Amino acid sequence: MTPAANNRTTSTKKPPGVFSLLRPYTALVVLLILFALLGNALNLLLPKIIANGIDTFEHHQFSFSFIIKQFLLATVLVFVFTYLQTIIQTYTSEKVARDLRSRLADKISHLSYAALEQANPSKLLTNLTADVDSIKLFVSQAVVSIASSLFIIVGASILLLTINWKLALCVMAIIPIIGITFFVVLKKVRALFIKGREVIDRLNKVISESILGAALIRVVNSQQLEYDKFIEVNNQAKTLGLSILRLFAGLIPVIVFTANMAGLAILLLGGHYVITGSMSLGNFAAFNSYLAMLIFPILVIGFMSNVIAQATASYQRISFVLNSPDPIAGGTITSNLQGDIQLKKVSLFYGQKPTLKNIDLHIKPGSRIAVIGPTAAGKTQLLYLLTGLVKATAGVIEFDGHRIEEYNKENFYSQVGFVFQDSIVFNMSIRENIAFSDTVTDASLQKAIDTAELGDFIKSLPNGLNTVVSERGSSLSGGQKQRIMLARALAIDPRILLLDDFTARVDQSTETKILQNVLTNYSGITLISVTQKIAAIEQYDQIILLTQGEIVASGKHEELMNTSVDYVQILNSQQSTSNYESVSLA
Amino acid sequence: MNYNINQLSGQQQKTSSLKAVKKLYSLIAHEKRNLIIALIAILVNSSLQLVGPLLIGHAVDAYVTTKQYNGVLMIGGILLAMYLLALGTSYMQTKLMGSVGQRTLFTLRNALFNKLQELPIAFFNQNKAGDLISRLNNDTDKINQFFSQSLMQFIGSIVTMTGAGVFLLAINIELGAATLLPALLILIFTMMVSPWVKRKNATNLKSVGSMSAEIQESLNNFRVIIAFNRRDYFLKRFNDANHQNYNTAIGAGMANNVFLPVYGLFSSLAQLIVLALGIYLISTGSFTIGLLVSYLAYAVNFYNPLRQLAALWTSFQVAMAGWDRISQILSLQSNLTDRSTGETTALHKPGLAFQNVSFAYPNGSEILHHVSFDLLPGKTYALVGPTGGGKTTTASLIARLYDPTHGTVFLNGRDIRTYSAEERAKKISFILQEPILFTGTVKDNLLYGNEQLLKYNNEELEEVIKESHLQKLLSVFEQGLDTPVSASGESISLGQKQLIAFMRAVLRNPEILILDEASANIDTVTEHLLTEILDQLPEQTTRVIIAHRLNTIEKADEIFFVNSGNVIPAGSLDHAVEMLMQGKRAS
Repeated sequence: MTPAANNRTTSTKKPPGVFSLLRPYTALVVLLILFALLGNALNLLLPKIIANGIDTFEHHQFSFSFIIKQFLLATVLVFVFTYLQTIIQTYTSEKVARDLRSRLADKISHLSYAALEQANPSKLLTNLTADVDSIKLFVSQAVVSIASSLFIIVGASILLLTINWKLALCVMAIIPIIGITFFVVLKKVRALFIKGREVIDRLNKVISESILGAALIRVVNSQQLEYDKFIEVNNQAKTLGLSILRLFAGLIPVIVFTANMAGLAILLLGGHYVITGSMSLGNFAAFNSYLAMLIFPILVIGFMSNVIAQATASYQRISFVLNSPDPIAGGTITSNLQGDIQLKKVSLFYGQKPTLKNIDLHIKPGSRIAVIGPTAAGKTQLLYLLTGLVKATAGVIEFDGHRIEEYNKENFYSQVGFVFQDSIVFNMSIRENIAFSDTVTDASLQKAIDTAELGDFIKSLPNGLNTVVSERGSSLSGGQKQRIMLARALAIDPRILLLDDFTARVDQSTETKILQNVLTNYSGITLISVTQKIAAIEQYDQIILLTQGEIVASGKHEELMNTSVDYVQILNSQQSTSNYESVSLA
Repeated sequence: MNYNINQLSGQQQKTSSLKAVKKLYSLIAHEKRNLIIALIAILVNSSLQLVGPLLIGHAVDAYVTTKQYNGVLMIGGILLAMYLLALGTSYMQTKLMGSVGQRTLFTLRNALFNKLQELPIAFFNQNKAGDLISRLNNDTDKINQFFSQSLMQFIGSIVTMTGAGVFLLAINIELGAATLLPALLILIFTMMVSPWVKRKNATNLKSVGSMSAEIQESLNNFRVIIAFNRRDYFLKRFNDANHQNYNTAIGAGMANNVFLPVYGLFSSLAQLIVLALGIYLISTGSFTIGLLVSYLAYAVNFYNPLRQLAALWTSFQVAMAGWDRISQILSLQSNLTDRSTGETTALHKPGLAFQNVSFAYPNGSEILHHVSFDLLPGKTYALVGPTGGGKTTTASLIARLYDPTHGTVFLNGRDIRTYSAEERAKKISFILQEPILFTGTVKDNLLYGNEQLLKYNNEELEEVIKESHLQKLLSVFEQGLDTPVSASGESISLGQKQLIAFMRAVLRNPEILILDEASANIDTVTEHLLTEILDQLPEQTTRVIIAHRLNTIEKADEIFFVNSGNVIPAGSLDHAVEMLMQGKRAS
């Protein structure tokens, strides 16, 4: 805990500079700045050309066509450069955004399940969308604007100095004043931006819970309640937005006012110089034009510092994900699993709360094991441990004598099929939902479909296997979803099959048929089944009774009947209808 | 009814800019006072900006060239006063317009969220969570950006431009007209290009929505992705969406950036016109150098805001595209409207009755054909049948999650559509197949949507729980009512979630309690407890139980066999089992 906490404090002390993000795109950025500067340099020349025109005209040495040619050439070049600049700007910013999203997705795809839940999916959604967007804005606007603004400020300042250094210094006095104002305001704004993003996370959470819970909300008529929840968070967003606004509403006018003061200085001092003859009228006009030029870039830097502040806040959040420690590299063992599974003193804690305590268990290859027990006994968590979805807090889990961590993950998962308790289907075709792993062949797909007794159902659909399932599978019944999940696990031709309460939503006769199919079609498979119904598991090689995270009894059905009071109690709770079940088994 | 907003979008898009402006205005109409003050501030601010160069030009002509420094000082004093005034007005305009933007964002999001709450469950079945989130967050923010950052500059720029234009014409009509000519070309260009720009942005926002949907789906189902070793699948799906988004974003970016260089080109041309024509006019003696200097400044004053308009116009087009996506949701109407008793028939039967009810999901085949049956108060009914036979659909019609496509559902003799949502929710409790929890505590979840018990403290609530015989179920949770619960994640098991959903429904004390596989993942010992609790419900409570485990339904007063569009009374449990077996053989 302490090293992690330390890490966090150092990373907040030294937020990663958002500019460091641009390093891989140096060539593009250089090109971008080059075109921007060329365009701006020529833009700076325009008033000079005009001033020259006025001065030469005053001195009656005016060459009309020369001025026109000069000006036209400059104008056309400005157009070309600006256009090229905007094109590169779009490409660069979108590339940065795309690559950053890819990097994030890549990182996320390597997270462990526990790490993902901890990172919080709502927050990751904001990271991938709003946060990346603010960085995109930074690249597309801030980089060029700041480069060209600085260029204009420096360029205009130099030109001012060459015309009249005393007056120029007077005008340039505004730069530090404005700089300090920015510094003070932006420091405050940055903190607000980070808070703003957190509010967006919360907003996402409320919206997504209200969408996922839409059915319940309608059943209990709690729309108002959800609306109130939403308004509360939305209100926070508004309040924060207004606080940020207040800072900026003060900032911009102060800067404009300061710049205007410079204009005043030009009039009073410059006017004085012209009257005393130490400055030409043309130069006086040029001074005014250059000041007009100076004001805009200064304002731009002001606006852009807003963009930079947001991007920095976002990049800090993204870096936190990107820099989170990689999961321990997977092992290297690739072998055909036999299904010999051994758990030695395995415990699992969530915080202080033990979910599984000191589990010792040996599962022989090719055997059928059932896990039963009351609600919240830790049955699902035991399966999660066996698939490596969660890591044991203490103890060792071995497959064929090797620790689970030593296995190559791809190799391991391609041999372990897991049917989750709650149905998870994706918004794609039934074929893709079942052949979810990319190693599935047509033959194993068909075998899985037949085993899960899905053939008739799929045939009844107009588009068959290509029927697209809606998100959250709302177009399927609970039993259909469950059987698709089973087919998905079987399609990889697993050596070990883990069923989590698979039969809960399937009627008894279908269940019996399916389990029989599994045994015939996948002979030698090691089957571990979490279930509630004893009737279906009486023939199993081993039945484990789990209560409050501990194995309280284990053995064959007949043994448990004689040794375990709890087991008998569970059996009794199911006795009353066994007659009917045997009817349906027929 | 079709609620798929991405399919609907094709049909209802073509809103003209003007119509959209009117709609947008209706969003901020109630801010009239603030808008007027802001507008005044903008006007004052812009005129001050215009008068500045005029005064400086005047100072040059009247005092600098005639070497009267006192006059210069006097003008300087006036300018200082003006700048101070501008300081105030520009603060006002930013603050007022920014607040309007923030409040609009607030109202708009609320309106959208409220609309989501009004829409029936069919809407959520047809649209993706991530896309909806994107519309609520991202698209509304595009409108906010326009209101808070651009609108003010937009108006300011137009005011400055108009003022500068008038000055240009007033000082010299010929020179003015010539200077403004490029602006006309810009106007034509803008009108021609804008629809294309908006279209490009709409495509981009759509792909942003799909990407967000992709992320939402994958992250919520991450367990499967890990267990099936398809991290590459997540990456691939995401990268496809990301790439798609990249392409549309480039398209939109190219479109958005077309204005700036063109506007720049034409403004430079205008300067050239001023210089050339101005010098010609001076040589004919009808113009002075001082005037030319300030004229050049006005031309800049006219074309600089125009250049800004290029960027603002883009932001307007983006906002319009976002607005289209938002109004697609706002314009949807729920087809589950309440009816008055006058327009419906009554039935003199207590309890619940289906009369000639048919139902089909949109674009799906019919699930129920002309079904009629009665459920009497205080009785227990079971619905059995093969998976996919229509049990959940029948239950959903009782709870009015959907309306029948034909026929009527009666509750206590009245068409169920005549009950308000509030009345209906009080009378009918539906324990859904997939238990839904909200992040909070067990107590929060038990009292979710229960106005009657909402104010109860832990002791009072525990008392009620005891009266309802639920205390044994509560004891499964280590910290009792205060056990923390999260909507996703592994903090509690599916069985525990089902227990919470069960207790929540019982505590509502409904007239009709529907259990859809309510105990599917609960162990059989605890399940017996549930059965006991159901037996102890008030006498008049009707229970409707959907289950696969036959032991949970053995005590039912009547068993209905639901399959292939029919709901048939089975008579006895034996007969029901027989029908189940026959159904198997037939299929």
